[in-house]
Amino acid sequence: MTPNPDADRLVWLRRLYFDLIGLPPSPEEIEAFAGDESPVACETLVDRLLNSKHFGERWGRNWLDVVRFAESSGGGRTLLFPDAWRFRDYVIDSFNRDLPYDQFLTQQIAGDLLECKDTDQRVRYLTATAFLLLGPINYEMQDKDILEMDIVDEQLDTIGKAFMGMTIGCARCHDHKFDPIPTSDYYAMAGIFKSTRSVIHSNVSKWNTTPLPRSAAEQADYEKHQQSIAKLEDELKLAKMAWSEAGGKPQNDVSGLRAVDPARVNGIVVDDAMAEIVGDWTESTHTAGYLGKQYIHDASEDRGAKRVIFRPAVPHAGRYQVLVSYSASSNRSKKVPVKIEHADGHDVVRVNQKQRPSIGGLFEALGDFDFEQGPSLIEISNQGTTDGVVIADAVVLVPAGQELAGLMRQAAERMQSEDELARIKQLDDEVKRLEVKLKTLRKSVPQQPALMATVDAAATTDIHVAIRGQAHLKGDLVPRGVLGAASWGTFPALSKGTSGRKELAQWISHPQHPLTARVMVNRIWYWLMGRGLVSTVDNFGSMGSLPSHPELLDHLASQFVQQDWSIKRLIRAIVLSRTYRMDSKSTPEAVAIDPENRWYWRMNRKRLPAEAIRDSLLSVAGDLDLTYGGSNIKAGTSIEYGYQFTSTRRSVYVPVFRNHLPEVFEVFDFADPNTQSGSRTASAVASQSLWMMNHPNVIARTEQAARQLLNRSFASDEERIRFAHLQVLSRPPTEREMTVATSLIVPNGALEDSSSASSVQRYAMLYRVLFQCLAFRYLD
Amino acid sequence: MNLMPSRRQALQSIGCGFGMLAASALAQREARAAKPANPLAAKLPPFAARAKRVIFVFMQGGPSQVDTFDYKAKLRQLDGEMQTFDDARVLAKTKEIKQHRVFESPWKFKRYGECGQHVSELFPHIAEHVDDLCFLKGMHTDGVAHGPATLFLHTGSINLVRPSVGSWVLYGLGTENDNLPGFVTLQPSMGNGGPRNYNNAFLPAVYQGTAVGRAGTPATSAQIRNLRNELVTQEDQRKQFEALREFNAAQLADRPGDQELEAVINSYELAWRMQKSVPDILDLGGEPEHIQRMYGIGVGNQATEDFGRQCLMARRLCEAGVRYVQVNYSDNGNNPRWDQHSNLEKHADHALATDQPVAGLLADLKQRGLLEDTLVWWGGEFGRTPYAQANGTGRDHNPYGFTMFLAGGGVKSGFSYGETDEFGHHAITGKVHMHDWHATLLHLMGMNHEELTFMHDGRPFRLTDVHGEVVTEILA
Repeated sequence: MTPNPDADRLVWLRRLYFDLIGLPPSPEEIEAFAGDESPVACETLVDRLLNSKHFGERWGRNWLDVVRFAESSGGGRTLLFPDAWRFRDYVIDSFNRDLPYDQFLTQQIAGDLLECKDTDQRVRYLTATAFLLLGPINYEMQDKDILEMDIVDEQLDTIGKAFMGMTIGCARCHDHKFDPIPTSDYYAMAGIFKSTRSVIHSNVSKWNTTPLPRSAAEQADYEKHQQSIAKLEDELKLAKMAWSEAGGKPQNDVSGLRAVDPARVNGIVVDDAMAEIVGDWTESTHTAGYLGKQYIHDASEDRGAKRVIFRPAVPHAGRYQVLVSYSASSNRSKKVPVKIEHADGHDVVRVNQKQRPSIGGLFEALGDFDFEQGPSLIEISNQGTTDGVVIADAVVLVPAGQELAGLMRQAAERMQSEDELARIKQLDDEVKRLEVKLKTLRKSVPQQPALMATVDAAATTDIHVAIRGQAHLKGDLVPRGVLGAASWGTFPALSKGTSGRKELAQWISHPQHPLTARVMVNRIWYWLMGRGLVSTVDNFGSMGSLPSHPELLDHLASQFVQQDWSIKRLIRAIVLSRTYRMDSKSTPEAVAIDPENRWYWRMNRKRLPAEAIRDSLLSVAGDLDLTYGGSNIKAGTSIEYGYQFTSTRRSVYVPVFRNHLPEVFEVFDFADPNTQSGSRTASAVASQSLWMMNHPNVIARTEQAARQLLNRSFASDEERIRFAHLQVLSRPPTEREMTVATSLIVPNGALEDSSSASSVQRYAMLYRVLFQCLAFRYLD
Repeated sequence: MNLMPSRRQALQSIGCGFGMLAASALAQREARAAKPANPLAAKLPPFAARAKRVIFVFMQGGPSQVDTFDYKAKLRQLDGEMQTFDDARVLAKTKEIKQHRVFESPWKFKRYGECGQHVSELFPHIAEHVDDLCFLKGMHTDGVAHGPATLFLHTGSINLVRPSVGSWVLYGLGTENDNLPGFVTLQPSMGNGGPRNYNNAFLPAVYQGTAVGRAGTPATSAQIRNLRNELVTQEDQRKQFEALREFNAAQLADRPGDQELEAVINSYELAWRMQKSVPDILDLGGEPEHIQRMYGIGVGNQATEDFGRQCLMARRLCEAGVRYVQVNYSDNGNNPRWDQHSNLEKHADHALATDQPVAGLLADLKQRGLLEDTLVWWGGEFGRTPYAQANGTGRDHNPYGFTMFLAGGGVKSGFSYGETDEFGHHAITGKVHMHDWHATLLHLMGMNHEELTFMHDGRPFRLTDVHGEVVTEILA
């Protein structure tokens, strides 16, 4: 067999841009490279792209596939991972720094246990361990023993596949059928993760978090804030004392008061003005005794269809007393249902709104309930209230057990002299001023975000084999350790109080480990060449495929280790190789002998991934926001359902939710974040074509691209069409393409054109054809 | 042999609007079935199938068995008394067994049909069809909460990502209409697993369910995504598509016979055809008024309007050759529709909204002869407790025993299989685990659940994992 000749220079260029940075070359860059006659033009370009920040964005995403990265837990009751973006940035940054792979791996398994020289490093190490916590977990599961073992299983499964190409998970229930992994080895490793704190339990449990370490400067700033707060609190205490000495009395009775300022109520207050209102409610101030500007009522209509949803933000998980306010009157309903969603489910309490509220004539207490941190839900509805009007005014949460006296601080007592009243009023104003100041100051305290990170558990321990994987059926106790079959030495004895994660990471990343370097080298080969030397990139076990070139794999792996596990050096060597440079076209003779190109007589043609499709579209339209790193989920998002993906940042920064992906990801075979998979499928389904033809974003971006094109000056439409081809296909049009494109832009010499399309619409049509055609969808 | 294509055959191959092409489309499809290059090509099942297609009517949230079909006299006798029950949720959380208040059904039961099946007054329309139904009253499943149990119902797995039942069926049997997706879910919920409930997981993407509309939006607006383009004129769309054909043909000429590129080109052609045929299928305007009324559409009852449309769309999709259609009575909340932890009376709202539409679907399928080889499956992710939750006004989840019903496609009619205990809490005889039902469903479609496998992660996977037994007792 004869290997193919080198690919056209521009074909290689396009390959390189998408493979290394995931973006198309600009027409200027194409022209410059085409005209560059330097003998090291290719090397120079490769080095430039490897040093670009976009390199980490492209290759970081590759790794995020391997570690099933996502920003929500998925499953039934999916929870957001609001801090997962830090892990994503850590990965991007590690690729850009060319962090040696052995360290990269160790940090992800045991970063929290590594020594570090400064806060910056500490933050990175801790962030890396989010790797263990990003799995698709059903935190809602009620049997917490099973939940814990499911988490451990997910961690082992991911570690096995990602780093060693081994499916360890099978051995949870029985000795592995195909690979030499006995159940005892599984529980030896499981003990390590059972000794790691990954989860915090509640009705709906949560992953472990650690406060983000502060730098010295941040710590100083924080302490300064704390001091100011303490000082202000003292001042406030004095002011309150002065007020009380002058005759001010705390009291709860609001009799005679029409409206109470919500700011005066101590507790977590949600007034009707801040509530979510379903159905037609009428505002009113008719009956005295309500919070804020008004209350609302249902006018006794549409029973069962009207609801008011209050969402008090619970600052800390715990028990709270729930109170509702309403203005009582004889025309009210006696059985207004108030639904309280709490940590243990939900309850409905009926409130008699004919009766004057028992607390200060304003509030009725509904009982104490456990709440989890975050927005809670309390709903007043008019379901079944056939006997009268339903009032919705406000909901208050007060930590359970807290004294209710002082719930409402009233400025003035009736029956005092005017002078005294004026004096009390003045002192009260001072109290109010200080309270507002304190509140503002408290709000401005530098937040300490939570990192998703592991720590060793308080009690570290070996565990029993669970017979048939059933958490409640105990078998033999197994000392913590590693896989016997893939061992290159003995696992060290663990000192008391350590989980063994650090030792495990060192064992996996050791140069003598038979799989680690080979698995990673094979992944890099797969990402560049389109197929791994071992085609099952996540499975090097006996059910995986055999390597097509075992010597090459060994050579690359040993070189990888010798060159300090440098990913960039390996990539550089591959993309500058003759193999990567070859043309991808088939010849009938070669196809007859080796149809699958097992022997690399040609370069593999690769499908352009979803991210590259989206980024190219944005880039050609001039709309791509190239901001590097940082949080990306819109502020105020509490759940993934219904999330609007409107960001124009690079695709790697678009939130990855397990149950809700942007359509372009879903349609174009983005990695399913619900399973670990280091390779992507390449489907050809109608939903892709429909997206390309009709999605409003495609229409808008191509129209925008057309407008930009028409704003540039060109000598002719041919020149313009050529430029559009360079933008989208990274090459000039063929003769046939030019003919077809011209007929689209200048139909029948422009005169007999029946269509009323404007120039922008015509060029937008051309752009859509370019983005749809095979030459764009594939990297030749 | 009758050489004229039946009305159904015609519809299957033309998907409306392709009348003249019917014969050749049919021929092409058959030719392709012989050469398995197209992964969606219709395949013959390994053994004789009793059903060719499925309509799954999903009652999200967990309808109560003791208030609908599983009549228990004992509840009336002991109403209000405290009794010991091993509540699934309390047990999972605290490992304790506690006392709960027995709670009789607020609805009266009556016997219906020749089979004398008990049905409560919640379902007066469905009750008229009991002689066509096959009840499974000994159902039990895994998962105490909605998320886990809903995923288990749809994929046979609580925590691991597995293909949906519909995806397995499509993978096994392909599709009978080249212009339509083979697995459609109408207005699915975004919650409790959301798309995972109709996902292909590790199966190839062609087997994923296609969502038409979504829960919370009216059925009148239900459509496949990106099917319509209001931004570009029809004329320009046509021109653009023709230019694309030219581009692709020229680029393919460079690589003759490349199957992967041909598949992409085919996907554009299918999309182009779907733009024409799908809106016709989903447009109910052509259905005669008396048919619409059967489903509760335009009968002056707003409650049945929306679900009625879904059921009618399901019939039209099935008739056109869609292999697996799921109709969802769903919303997007954490406490979905039938989830009456309190205020059990709300069951009446849900019964009202679904009773006539489901009965209409059964009657319509029957009058068209479609019921013979269409399997209708009605059910929720679990049942509810026969006692009051927290001594209140509702019932908690109950995965230990509940009722589903089937009709058509090879199951006995006027038949009831399995029983719960005297309270209706645990399935005790004729127990059918969700895995068993999955195995039975595949069996009815002519497939062996142990042999319908897919290699993934280095081992063969199946819908029923290592479980499941075909419930032969219900086979007709």
